[in-house]
Amino acid sequence: MTQGVLLFCFDTAEVQYHRITNRCVDQINHHLCLPITVVTNQSTLDQWDDRPNVNFVVIDNQTGNRRGSSEWHNLDRCEAYQISPYDVTLLMDTDYFCYTSNLLEYMKSEDDFLIHRDVYDLTGKNVYDFRTNSLIPMLWATVIVFRKTVRAKQIFDTVRYIKQYYQYFCKLYRIDFANFRNDYAFSIAMNQIDGFNQQYFIPARLPTLPATARVRTFHEYGLTFEIDGQLRNIEHQDVHVLDKEIANV
Amino acid sequence: MDTSELKKFSDVSFDITVAKKNALERARSRQIVAHSGHLFRADSHTINLARTLSDRSGEFYILDVNDNPCLIKDTKEFLNLLIARNQESLNEYHRWYQTLKNRKSQ
Repeated sequence: MTQGVLLFCFDTAEVQYHRITNRCVDQINHHLCLPITVVTNQSTLDQWDDRPNVNFVVIDNQTGNRRGSSEWHNLDRCEAYQISPYDVTLLMDTDYFCYTSNLLEYMKSEDDFLIHRDVYDLTGKNVYDFRTNSLIPMLWATVIVFRKTVRAKQIFDTVRYIKQYYQYFCKLYRIDFANFRNDYAFSIAMNQIDGFNQQYFIPARLPTLPATARVRTFHEYGLTFEIDGQLRNIEHQDVHVLDKEIANV
Repeated sequence: MDTSELKKFSDVSFDITVAKKNALERARSRQIVAHSGHLFRADSHTINLARTLSDRSGEFYILDVNDNPCLIKDTKEFLNLLIARNQESLNEYHRWYQTLKNRKSQ
């Protein structure tokens, strides 16, 4: 049975995601030791001077989504099932950095689709409270472990369908965020596939640094970030970083 | 009262509290282990249950983190796995705690 990591990486005018991906790949190689496939487009690949030793899949990615005034190339995640060459896939955002081997345990689970339900704010400010922003709890599509099963395929197919009619689903589920967001698309898909009951999740919280925390340095065991004028460290802990300036750190 | 000193003290206390919560979160994340295709939390509850059940019979059933039943055949291996991961995570937490204590005493 093959196992591997699947990453999606598309540069935008504002953020050189390939630089973030390089760091992400380093951490995966160091802590997970799994083969990696990076899904990207030709223009990103052309910019990529220091390409890591991974398997590249070049696609013509869908564009048009925005976050605020910035481009947001997040519309192809639903193709992960088709693209992944692995029997068990760890689908990750490129801004998730592994400083432990914890994710390997989830890949040993026989559950065919695992996703985070809960988030943990590493700044201690608990900024993530989306309870009133939708009718169903928002899941976090940052890290997903899936197997090639009929159910997993149905989830990804449903996400593709939801993407097509996203504004309708936003109204149906009273979701406040009108721009397409994979977190909600997967939340809705799992809600529907699981018979309007959300059932199986990754049994740990997603450790996250919100965008208000500015990453200053990366080091061997973790990173240093600044918030409210103070520097703090994170060590030996996986971390999902929302500050996109990390491309330049 | 010197309110600037008070603010400094309060800021340090907040930092320590957040750091402690993060260290505990790290330990809890580390306590998730896979066995027989199921995920378990290597906490005191699971260890106590596994120990009690293994004392009574050769095999036993236990619920995983998603409440799915799992038949544990090699009870000794399972218990060793739980204890090893539990102690690994708490050992790291303890090391962090010692560092904090040293910082406080300075």
